[in-house]
Amino acid sequence: MTEAKDALTAELARKLVETLGLDMAPESVDPAAPLIGAGLGIDSIDTLELVVMIERDYGVKIDNRAAGVEAFASLDALANYIRQRRKTA
Amino acid sequence: MSGGARAHVTGIGAICAGAANVAELRRLLASPERRFRLPTAFPTKGPGAELPVAQVDGFDEADPSGLPRTHRIALAAAKEAVGQGALPDAIVVGTTTGGILTTENALEAGTADPRVYRFHGLDTVAQLLAESFSVTGPVVTVSTACSSAAVAISVAHALLRAGLARRVLAGGADSLSRLTFHGFRQLQLVSPDGCRPLDANRAGMTVGEGAGFLVLESAPEADRRVLADLRGTGLSCDAYHATSPHPEGAGAVLAMERALADAGIEPSRVSYVNLHGTGTPDNDAAEARALKQVFGQELPALSSIKGLTGHTLAAAGGLEAVVSVIALEEGLLPANTGLESIDPKLEVSPVVEPTHAAVEVVVSNSFGFGGNNASIILSKPTAVAKVSPSPLPALRVASTACLTGRGALDETLVALAAGESAGGLVPDAAFAKAAPAAFIRRLKRLPRLMLALANTAHAGSGATAAPDFLAVGTAWGPLAETQEFLRKLFESGDQFSSPTDFIGSVNNAPAGQVALLLGAHSPNLTFSSGDRSFEHAVLSASLGIAAGARDALVLAAEAYEPKLSPLLDPEAALSPCDGGAGFVLMPDDDTKGARIRWLAEVGGDGALPSILSILAKDDGARFDAVSVGIPAPFAEESSAILDRVAEAFPGCPVLSYRELLGHHASVSATATAVAAQGVLTGTLPLANTPLPRRRVLLLQAGSHATALEVFA
Repeated sequence: MTEAKDALTAELARKLVETLGLDMAPESVDPAAPLIGAGLGIDSIDTLELVVMIERDYGVKIDNRAAGVEAFASLDALANYIRQRRKTA
Repeated sequence: MSGGARAHVTGIGAICAGAANVAELRRLLASPERRFRLPTAFPTKGPGAELPVAQVDGFDEADPSGLPRTHRIALAAAKEAVGQGALPDAIVVGTTTGGILTTENALEAGTADPRVYRFHGLDTVAQLLAESFSVTGPVVTVSTACSSAAVAISVAHALLRAGLARRVLAGGADSLSRLTFHGFRQLQLVSPDGCRPLDANRAGMTVGEGAGFLVLESAPEADRRVLADLRGTGLSCDAYHATSPHPEGAGAVLAMERALADAGIEPSRVSYVNLHGTGTPDNDAAEARALKQVFGQELPALSSIKGLTGHTLAAAGGLEAVVSVIALEEGLLPANTGLESIDPKLEVSPVVEPTHAAVEVVVSNSFGFGGNNASIILSKPTAVAKVSPSPLPALRVASTACLTGRGALDETLVALAAGESAGGLVPDAAFAKAAPAAFIRRLKRLPRLMLALANTAHAGSGATAAPDFLAVGTAWGPLAETQEFLRKLFESGDQFSSPTDFIGSVNNAPAGQVALLLGAHSPNLTFSSGDRSFEHAVLSASLGIAAGARDALVLAAEAYEPKLSPLLDPEAALSPCDGGAGFVLMPDDDTKGARIRWLAEVGGDGALPSILSILAKDDGARFDAVSVGIPAPFAEESSAILDRVAEAFPGCPVLSYRELLGHHASVSATATAVAAQGVLTGTLPLANTPLPRRRVLLLQAGSHATALEVFA
């Protein structure tokens, strides 16, 4: 498991746990592991919940399957996805 | 195949985008024209919300009597269906929206006057129709998301077959609302340029509104023109996912196969399939696979009309039943409007333009959230056959669960034995272990209560297989989910809300969760008929077992929501209270145990005296006690009601149970659970009333009077 590289990744880990009501500490989310599927038990409804949170809080849309695959590859990937598209730094 | 008795369609009524009545719908089907546009039923804000809808014309002006949009649309189509014909004696309505559009506006404006919310309850749609047509028999509301109207037609068919009604108005109605518009938008299920079912580039559904009703008769008068026959229906549940269909369409296959078996019709005789065909990538793919499994490679003609009418949600099964009748009458195969290039992966060839052909038998599909599937089969009229009704069977109670302010059944009985009330909110500990933590992570109060009841009842019955029939009652549904969805929506200026809360807000979401937990692919019905929701679940289970179901899980519960419950529910305004009960019911046999039998429902003026005279005539002296539920709006008349009941059953103790069991719409289920204990021990735990003959009458005296008996 790698350490959270930056503040955005740490913030996303906190929001992930909070938004989805996951029974775990934000620090224990592996930033390099796939977000969706067996590990965290995140499914398609959770994914939509995260899509809404990311658009609301960062102004970044994830509105097609390809974008979803890229954004939810891992917590780090999500942070990168947001950084690349965010309107206000 | 043998198949059960048919019902005869003697009236139709419809409203949808582009058609104010059946005549206009016929013209629309003959020359289809898409009329999708931005909604005017409510304001949309922000760029993300600029999505077209299929809106009905003529209902944007507020109604002077305060009737919500769904009610007005429903009434218009129902009046057309009944027309000049004889009045129905029962009504079954499918709806999910009820008065939500009115409620949304009032909540956002901070309106605290409960009168503004008086039409929120789904039951008020059917009640409005019942008043209009002076209906005195069962008035039933089904709420199973987008399959609601088709399920309602299935329930109506069962009522006719059992001889509990002779002429039933059945169908559904839903209006546009911010809840459904933004809910489907947040689920990324809405097409930005209007839905294109089966298209290679299909990008989702178009939210619509409308109503569709049939008048169904078991034995129409000789001079009544029969338009078509309802031959059979099939219900199932995917038990796969809260919203996504099973990828192979397994539940859809079950629904179609059950409908064909019920109708006694071979798949090769089907001329046309009216698809659910919402235009979402997943639905259309799953439905296409299901069709091939049911019909083989030689598929009947098929199309989805949702590219024309939009998805009218709970109304869809009613509207499309009317379209199916038109197809049979006119020999018209409706077009799959909106299709530009067929998706080759689907391997289906829909009807691309309105086509005249011989149409003998139509299958119409409606699928909804909760994996809830319904298929109905209509055919050209055939000879009117004599129906020989059989009385509803008594059902053996294999297990009982209940949740009250005191906890589970044992704690409830302890409180009652001490003469204390069991009302109040169900303590958290009583349902904390409803299901594994990961399973209930996203669920709020009502689904958790329902899962706890289901688990206890199912485990207590010793059943090793999943239930063979699932019937759930909830008058108010998942209010916490609705409240949270709307709060987040309003706070963000109609931009954002929670997809999870939207999915959870449909009244059949708890039943879908129960099916998921128990792996139940059985028929899965949710009734939201106000205080009669539990009674209708029992009625439905009785009809299901009479038709051959091995057993039935029956649940009914309410969950108090601090903001919405007191505004919407006069009962909840008295004091916070919730809970409910659950039962596994089996066909009657020699096994010892309590029995439940559904006896009667009477509505209209004089409902109570009418039901009392019916009950008294039928050996009324057999009861040891009468346990009476008086809903809050009738509380002022309660002593007169109790006197009247006492007069009808001289010498028989009459007990009013709401004071002891709590004030909520599903408390009649709790009263039934308590009575089921009483007939086993010989003492009804309400005021320790002796039951020497072990037989209790459960009476509800509301706008409709209902009666169940519990005996051993």
